[in-house]
Amino acid sequence: MALFQKISQLREFIEEVVKILYYYRGRVIFSFSGVALGILSICIIITTIDGANKKAQEIFEALGPDSIMVFGGGERQRAARIRTSSIKTGDADLIARVEGIYDIMKIYSARNVMMRYKDRNWQTQAVGSTTNYFESFSWGFQAGTVFTEDEYDRAEAVCIIGAKVYEELFRGENAIGKTIVVGKLPTTVIGVLEERGGSVGGPHVDDRVIMPLTTVTSRIVNEKRYLSAVRVKTHRDLDRTIEDIRHVLRASHGLTGNLDDDFTIRSSKDILAFVTVISGSLLLFLGTASIVALVVSGFVLANLFYLTIQERKKDIGIRRAYGATRKGILLSFLFESILITFIGGVAGILLSVILGSTFEKLFDIPMMFSFKVVFFALLFSFLTGVLSGLRPALKASRIEPIEAIRG
Amino acid sequence: MIDLRNIRKSYFVGDRELPILKGIDLSITKGEFVVFMGVSGSGKTTLMNIIGLLDKQTEGDYTFAGTSVDGLDDERLADMRNTYIGFVFQQFFLLPYLDAIENVLIPIVYSKKGIKHPRKKAKMLLGKFGLEQRIHNKPSQLSGGEQQRVAIARALVNDPEIILADEPTGALDSKTGGEIMDLFQMLNEEGKTIIVVTHDPKLATFGKRLVRIDDGAISEDITT
Repeated sequence: MALFQKISQLREFIEEVVKILYYYRGRVIFSFSGVALGILSICIIITTIDGANKKAQEIFEALGPDSIMVFGGGERQRAARIRTSSIKTGDADLIARVEGIYDIMKIYSARNVMMRYKDRNWQTQAVGSTTNYFESFSWGFQAGTVFTEDEYDRAEAVCIIGAKVYEELFRGENAIGKTIVVGKLPTTVIGVLEERGGSVGGPHVDDRVIMPLTTVTSRIVNEKRYLSAVRVKTHRDLDRTIEDIRHVLRASHGLTGNLDDDFTIRSSKDILAFVTVISGSLLLFLGTASIVALVVSGFVLANLFYLTIQERKKDIGIRRAYGATRKGILLSFLFESILITFIGGVAGILLSVILGSTFEKLFDIPMMFSFKVVFFALLFSFLTGVLSGLRPALKASRIEPIEAIRG
Repeated sequence: MIDLRNIRKSYFVGDRELPILKGIDLSITKGEFVVFMGVSGSGKTTLMNIIGLLDKQTEGDYTFAGTSVDGLDDERLADMRNTYIGFVFQQFFLLPYLDAIENVLIPIVYSKKGIKHPRKKAKMLLGKFGLEQRIHNKPSQLSGGEQQRVAIARALVNDPEIILADEPTGALDSKTGGEIMDLFQMLNEEGKTIIVVTHDPKLATFGKRLVRIDDGAISEDITT
């Protein structure tokens, strides 16, 4: 740069700007905090969205990228939160025969079943399923093990309890071998699941008791005809498999022509899509908020700056008399405003690191910090500095030395 | 050094022309100590601004250090001011957020001369003017006379040929003002060209040459 002959001159220049900012700290602090807040919200948006995506990815992995769920009731009933049983036990066998399917899990969920252990009560769902339930969800055990095919076939009163249920009923005691009463059925606890945490638009995942499907349908409730859901894994293309399952079920349920499906098929892809929608609305909301914060602080900065120029006319005049060019004045004012927003940006990033962990605990939103966050935060603060500093800097550079010195 | 040929300067108010300088012919050579004397409104400050390359004449030719300055752009003019001229003003114009030595160093930031050890030099100048104890004081902690001496040190730090002072004693009492003028005399003896603009007749005796400006023209030019 032709502006500075030597590094020492550049240093002198930067030192001067820092002193100017300190001298005018009263007004600098306003624009500084505005920018810091704006950048803070930008950081939180990015980290939250990244965190949500990561979480979605984890759910996706946990469910298995190749899994498909079939529920009873069409999209409309589901939307209205009406539970309709429409998947017949025979449907599961039909689905199992669809090309590419290598794993099938049948589920019957009994809601609001009272669990009792000694004097403690806990109401939760009793999930009846097949022996592959745990492996299929890649869900590990803290203690005990899965029920056997034998126990399944004989509909024995055994159960595996989720971490939440374990906490509520046993509070750290050993649970294996103990008897809890599920509804009216005394049942032996043979396993405790690992805590998985979080929930995906439903009850807490750790809040459940899992039993053989046969036990639930014959001894807890009397339901021989229907299943709540069927979960399958395929090594074929997800969409094609879904299409085939749909075809099989429509035929089995006698649905022809324009009649709506009386069942719903979900794949792990839908969960990803769901999270994408959520992070999209988050982006829209917080994004608008942070842009507004930045624009407002940009305006404050620009106006305060504009006002100081009148006050600093002599400063400008003396510098011009002593050899500063118009360009030099322009650049130094621009540098000043960029420095304010840049420091504001750095403060915003630091704040978001501090607030981020609090946020995480408060809203159960995972956050992910990355270079991307720092990059975007600094980019936005730089842009705010340039945009709000440009007009005042142009005005300053147009001041003629004689008018500045005269008065 | 300075050569003015038929310099005219007018301001236009609407379509009325207000002539400020009405044809100035003047030459100043290296090593002179010139006092421009005139009442307020005589055009002496305008003349000084033109000489100092801060303002442009409406008509006439101005040759400065062998260069005709008429067609020069902002960058070139800024460069020439920095290289050749040190300004001193009535109101000192020290920057409030910098201490004494940092104020002295302002011209260095824009200098292309490559002055060696500018900080040492600034310190030396402040010491020469009796301000060694004041180096890190802000302007608000200095008296008027001290501020003006800091301003003169600033004018000198980049080794200019000429010192241009506009009413340098105007804001000072007569004793302090006299000390400032003594200082200019000392600098002149060291070889600097000094130009002082004033309305104060008492300062006339300090220079080697007195140029009286009346109503935009030179009415008297005496070398003593």
